Amino acid sequence: MPTLYERLGGAPAVDTAVDIFYRKVLADNRINRFFDTVDMEAQAAKQKAFLTMVFGGPNSYTGKDMREGHKHLVAKGLNDSHVDAVLENLGATLKELGVSDADIKEVAALANSVRDDVLNR
Amino acid sequence: MAILTLGETPIPIAEGQTVLAALLAAGVDAPYSCRAGLCHTCLHQVIEGTVPEASQAGLSDAQKAQGYFMPCVCVPKEPLKIVRAGDLHGEIEVRVAAIDRLSHNVIRLCLEPDRTFAYRPGQFIALRAPGEVIRTYSIASHPALDAFIELHVRVIPGGKMSGFIAERLARGDRLKISNPAGTCFYEGADPERPIVLAGAGTGLAPLWGIARDAIEQRHRGPIRLYHGARERSGLYLVDELQALADRHESFSYRPCVLSDSEPGAGDLAATVAGAETDPANTDFFLCGDADLVGRLKRELYLKGAKLQRLRADSFVPAA
Repeated sequence: MPTLYERLGGAPAVDTAVDIFYRKVLADNRINRFFDTVDMEAQAAKQKAFLTMVFGGPNSYTGKDMREGHKHLVAKGLNDSHVDAVLENLGATLKELGVSDADIKEVAALANSVRDDVLNR
Repeated sequence: MAILTLGETPIPIAEGQTVLAALLAAGVDAPYSCRAGLCHTCLHQVIEGTVPEASQAGLSDAQKAQGYFMPCVCVPKEPLKIVRAGDLHGEIEVRVAAIDRLSHNVIRLCLEPDRTFAYRPGQFIALRAPGEVIRTYSIASHPALDAFIELHVRVIPGGKMSGFIAERLARGDRLKISNPAGTCFYEGADPERPIVLAGAGTGLAPLWGIARDAIEQRHRGPIRLYHGARERSGLYLVDELQALADRHESFSYRPCVLSDSEPGAGDLAATVAGAETDPANTDFFLCGDADLVGRLKRELYLKGAKLQRLRADSFVPAA
């Protein structure tokens, strides 16, 4: 049986998803301040890594990495409501790509599994 | 024996070890995050040797051409000399061949290197003046069209480098520059599609090089250059740009003066975003101060421009 990552279409699907997802979060006034940076390539690359992880693809992220990587954002006020907004945009992105509800749920569960690390608690 | 060198420092690396692992083991404060070749945080540049193809997967053609690679997924098969991505390295002696004014506050500096100096129009170099003053400048010249390396220096009140250039530097003087860096150049642009070059102030320098490079490389789509300035006196190379537009039907030049009340005047970012109706199918080159470049990039991206087709160089003033 194909893995979630394979079902979603692997690396090319991640690239397509990043493009849609990044536009969504930049246009979302609830959270765009956390994503606004002059170095948009670096930001897009980070999102590629994030989406690869929540698609169940190959990654080496640890909880410690997640904590370190988001510390400065938590200091800027990052909380559950923002994580919820990110997940909402993620779900809408996948819906747009025609991903099944069951797979979207699985992605959301993977994303939720790092919530505490992201929020440093 | 080390087969990995970071700048001038040999880094011990074991058989099968990644470059990132070797750097970290050697105590180098190398940034990294995903360790899977995805996030680009650990990006370095190879300046001698060839890196395995896998360590460049997902990078843009311009980045690959510059030797950018991801140390976290790079197990070298041959000796490598690397630097951190975007680090300006090397030292080339140059002689000041000409120095003149392009406008009341922009100086054109023409430099003749002591040895062959390969660069792409649109790249930048670090210029070193006596007293260890170092500033980066974009290259405005074209290696096949111009005899010298040409820089446009904005004269900043109290500026150490620009003050030195304006008041003390003379023809025949010697300076040092670094090797060129940066990926804001023509290669990788779609030859059939529009190219839009937008910059303010001396952000025109790299665009002047890139525009002529695109024409030189027989770009078939339209080439539109927007130059922004606060006051009309801030525009420069106006006659040259107009002449280029007269000679080449595909090239157009649009000055945008913020303080003007004439038609076509106004904010550069608003003008470009308003006039460019098909960002998804356009290659953009954006140069100037970081705030302007950031605003333009974001706006064009949200209007459908592709990130890989938004090349930019932000000018950050020295502290």
